[in-house]
Amino acid sequence: MASTTAPISSADVYDVPDEDVVHGGHGYATNTGISNTKLGMWLFLASECLLFGGLITTYLLYKRPLPGTGVGPQELFDIPFTSVSSFILLMSSLTMVLAVSAIEADDHSRFRIWISATALLGALFISGQVYEFTSFVHEGMGYTLNRSSSAFYTLTGFHGVHVTFGIVMLMSVLFLSFRGHLSKNKSETVEVVGLYWHFVDVVWILIFAIVYLIP
Amino acid sequence: MATTHVSPEVHDDPDAHPDRRRTYVMIALILAALTALEVSTYYIPDLLGGKDSFAITALLLFLMAVKFFMVVYFFMHLKYDKKFLTVAFYSGLFLAVAVYVAVLAAFRFWGPPGSHMVRGQGQP
Repeated sequence: MASTTAPISSADVYDVPDEDVVHGGHGYATNTGISNTKLGMWLFLASECLLFGGLITTYLLYKRPLPGTGVGPQELFDIPFTSVSSFILLMSSLTMVLAVSAIEADDHSRFRIWISATALLGALFISGQVYEFTSFVHEGMGYTLNRSSSAFYTLTGFHGVHVTFGIVMLMSVLFLSFRGHLSKNKSETVEVVGLYWHFVDVVWILIFAIVYLIP
Repeated sequence: MATTHVSPEVHDDPDAHPDRRRTYVMIALILAALTALEVSTYYIPDLLGGKDSFAITALLLFLMAVKFFMVVYFFMHLKYDKKFLTVAFYSGLFLAVAVYVAVLAAFRFWGPPGSHMVRGQGQP
């Protein structure tokens, strides 16, 4: 006896950013009208607020080292240098949003320029952080010197790891573009990577003010 | 009589991704100016009553918040996207702020240095 049950494809179950599902770029065939990928990224970023909130709070509580345990990070900060690093990361957000704009316009050559610029600026920021950490260690402030140094390296190190992951994602979408796997209707992939990158930038906006500038 | 049919997809497409490049560049310039203002408090703290003054801390927190929300609203498209995403993100953000303000209060972070639960410099 023949079965009358129709087969269910993965596109019926999962949200797939495809021409069949996306309606003129305005909505998705999901309950929320938002693609699951984008909603998932926003929820992930919301959870990241708790991670970085915990690390910033720990730093605030331990920012002053106990007497006799060596120098704290606030005595070693090079504000002009960190200001330049912050500016570089801030400008990488502009190049990222221009890359998203370019891929939405299906302009791959412009997209490749902006996404490469974003990755380059991110790499410059990471180089600056490596230089800063190295100079702090040479000044005698290792990771386990005291509670302040541990809290500082953990907070800024976690942020650095996030930036590094972001660079890997940027290089991945650049690779997809070169392989021809990044059509206009898949521009949401770039937008989601952009969301992550901008979040890394806003976290640094908080760290720069709270850790480096506020006495 | 002939009728003209316009496909909704064709009609909607130009509005799907409006060109906002000029807005993005303007936002980036404002962010750069705000960062310069932040850094200036390090070089000329006397304008706001000295390095440890409450005014400098308040100004830096205010500038930090303005920069944060500008990036989130414009660069991360919360201004243009569905409100549900705003609710999803701010739920996490406000939960984090509430939890960690409570933690800092529990450790008496805002009290005089002698009352801190976590010992500071110069304390036994």
